[in-house]
Amino acid sequence: MKVQSWKSRYGLRALVAAVLLLISQPLIYLFVRASEKSVSELISLLSRPKTIEVLALTLVLLLIVVLINVLLGTAIAAGLHYVRIPYPRLLLVSTVLPLAIPSYVFTYTWIALIPSLQGFWAAVFILSLSTLPYMILAVTISFQRIDAGLIEVARSLGLYKISVFFRVILPQVRRSISAGALLSGLYVLSDFGAVSLLNVETLTVSIQNLFKSSYDRSAASVIGLLLFFVAAIFVSFESVIKGRDFESHGAEGFQSKIRRISNSTLSILTVLVIAFYAVLTVFVPFYVLFSRYFQNPGAVAFSDLISAALSTISVAGLGAFLALLISLPLAFLATQGASAFSALSGKVILAAHSLPGVVVGLALVSFGSRLGPLYQSIFLLAFAYAVLFLAKSVASTADSLALVSPQLREVAATLGKSKSRIALEVVFPIALPNIALGILLVFLTAMKELPATLMLRPTGMETLATEIWSFAAISRFNDAAPYALLLVIIAAIPTFILTIPRTAKSEFEQKVRYL
Amino acid sequence: MAVLGRSNLWRQELKKNFTVAGIALAALIIGGATFASFSSDQSDEKITEVTIYSGRSEEFIAPFLSNWERESGIKLNVRYGDSAELAAQILEEGQNSPADLFLSQDAGSLGAVSAAGLFAKLADGIGSEIESRYIAGDRNWIGLTGRARVFAYRPGAVDVLPKSISDLTKAAYKGKVGIAPSNASFQAFVTALINEKGEKFAEDWLKAMESNDAQIYLKNSAIVEAIDKGEISLGLVNHYYTWEVSEALGRDIQVANGFFAPGDIGNLVNVSGIGILATSKKVSAAEDLINFLTSEAIQASFTEKTHEYSLIPGSKAPESLPDLASIGSPQVDLRSLENVQRTQDLLTKVGLL
Repeated sequence: MKVQSWKSRYGLRALVAAVLLLISQPLIYLFVRASEKSVSELISLLSRPKTIEVLALTLVLLLIVVLINVLLGTAIAAGLHYVRIPYPRLLLVSTVLPLAIPSYVFTYTWIALIPSLQGFWAAVFILSLSTLPYMILAVTISFQRIDAGLIEVARSLGLYKISVFFRVILPQVRRSISAGALLSGLYVLSDFGAVSLLNVETLTVSIQNLFKSSYDRSAASVIGLLLFFVAAIFVSFESVIKGRDFESHGAEGFQSKIRRISNSTLSILTVLVIAFYAVLTVFVPFYVLFSRYFQNPGAVAFSDLISAALSTISVAGLGAFLALLISLPLAFLATQGASAFSALSGKVILAAHSLPGVVVGLALVSFGSRLGPLYQSIFLLAFAYAVLFLAKSVASTADSLALVSPQLREVAATLGKSKSRIALEVVFPIALPNIALGILLVFLTAMKELPATLMLRPTGMETLATEIWSFAAISRFNDAAPYALLLVIIAAIPTFILTIPRTAKSEFEQKVRYL
Repeated sequence: MAVLGRSNLWRQELKKNFTVAGIALAALIIGGATFASFSSDQSDEKITEVTIYSGRSEEFIAPFLSNWERESGIKLNVRYGDSAELAAQILEEGQNSPADLFLSQDAGSLGAVSAAGLFAKLADGIGSEIESRYIAGDRNWIGLTGRARVFAYRPGAVDVLPKSISDLTKAAYKGKVGIAPSNASFQAFVTALINEKGEKFAEDWLKAMESNDAQIYLKNSAIVEAIDKGEISLGLVNHYYTWEVSEALGRDIQVANGFFAPGDIGNLVNVSGIGILATSKKVSAAEDLINFLTSEAIQASFTEKTHEYSLIPGSKAPESLPDLASIGSPQVDLRSLENVQRTQDLLTKVGLL
């Protein structure tokens, strides 16, 4: 018995180590390239005023956008969940849809509308709009899990609604707020499209400039590693803030139907804020694209449109599936109780999420071009998506697994279940919605990915994102419009699935709060 | 036991929600994967297909490439992308590159691949019709079309047209000139300026432009649109953007192209070009494609369809433009435009980037 658990324990660790090695290709690539520089070159590159200026700007941008996300995202999510509003699901979907619009398209259309939109505050504006869906989704889903019984108890004890929110609800969603902040922050670090168009040089823009203007892959890799370390610090910082959630356990059989606040001022305010957000993020890009389209409506090549859509769905789907496969051993390890190894592997994956698509693309070109037929196949591209966006699924699942009530595990253990059976039969079913959330997030973001797609797609295959890019590159926004519309429509489908309200809550779920 | 029993119940409920989504997703993946694998089969004994990395957009080059496919009976696998990113990709692939040819929008990206020794020297007689100054000295690549730097302007809005780039810093043009410092074509021009006149001259000119309130745009096309709207009178762009913008908007625009006095650095002609990868095993087919693209008929067609200059001496200029010989473009070694790092540092220093 003991021997067996020893074996499975180390077997799992070996598997996780292998997975980590595989997905660390971009990091290995950066180290190899960066090591081509001598120590003195390294020092002079890292200490030049330009690098320090870019680093400072990146950090300030990161902090401001994350702060805006925490405040505004939590408020919007609270409005969506606790205020009586018409069509709550429709409103929720409209706050998540911006996820489907590629950053460069979104920014292009805003610049078309306001040509003077440039610089730091423009970047704060655009990036905040683009990242809010991560926060809103994460927080909304965890609101749905809060034991309504506890809220009732708090109210019956005479707490005001506002104090209930701050004293009972907020402490329970801190973990999700910090997960949302993590995803938004890593998005800011890795984004290229928006900041480059707004003339704001972040570390990612520096990396791209070094690749493209001087073809200096070593210098670009040094800055790439700097970006990775910034992300690593951000990720560690986040886990300190996150702290420990307190878990509420409702009484068995308690009816947990949420009572929404019926306050007309609050309702109108909530609907207005969300409508305003949807106008800024969904209506504006489509208004601009379609006014361009109708200025000069071209014939839409339906066969191109359909084949691009099929390619997009299949490769993004395959990428999401691979991300699921890769995250399973990691998640499994996490269920074996907290260990330094599993915590470290989680952090490496999260920090690697800050690496821009061009770095991951080039790393996999370097690694993949030796693989013969696998190179420039949809499998390598799907793998690139899994590597790029794995953190999205890990961020959504890891915490939920770790939070499965220890008492429940103990109960299962006293029934003679082995650790792996407990994980399989008890822990995973509980974490399933979060795993699904993570996988769908991977699918959504992979659909609009551009730089790695350009490098790794099979020669001759076009996705919706590459078609939009190729028209935008020659100013044909009119021709790009149908592709952008289709991309958003396709993205809306998994978004609807994501927001299916979990009304069919079992007593079991109330008993075990897991996020 | 009771707890676990409920877990099963709960699992069934969840299944209802996610099974449908799961089946749909799986079907899409399998269907799509089959679909995608059909579009990329590779097998060749003799030359039946050739792979080309193209930094020129599909819209402009695809019709010409399919003409060659029909003529030669050889299938072309075309990989579209950004010229500089494709160059970086080729550098990374090194000896394992599946590409036979690299077609780039600008000389800089060709220079980077050439400097890494990844191009094969073109045999004598390949592309023999192209003017020799548009062929790399080491015959590593060959120019396909010429792209002239011009000042685009709104007819009637400017009293006196500038004779040299130095004129643009005069009070008459204060706040009326648009430039795109972050754009590759502007940076290639500044690189040539530094190489020809020295860094001090370039820095002074850039500073003077800035203090003359030059308007900053993101792209050449945005400058042309701004001229059409009357926001500015004049802008430094490549010559073909007047057509590109007009075609995208689907109407005529109030913008004309002007050239500086012959020999002025502002008349720089950059090229799009093509080279054969040293690793290619399909050199004869690749050479045939280059000969096709540099033939008189196709060059004339480039001029007509994409409004770029043919690089064959004495050929017809794009509609309403002077011919290449009479522009008086400065004698610049196009290979020297490869590294724009110094240019970017300078632009950053003067605050334009």
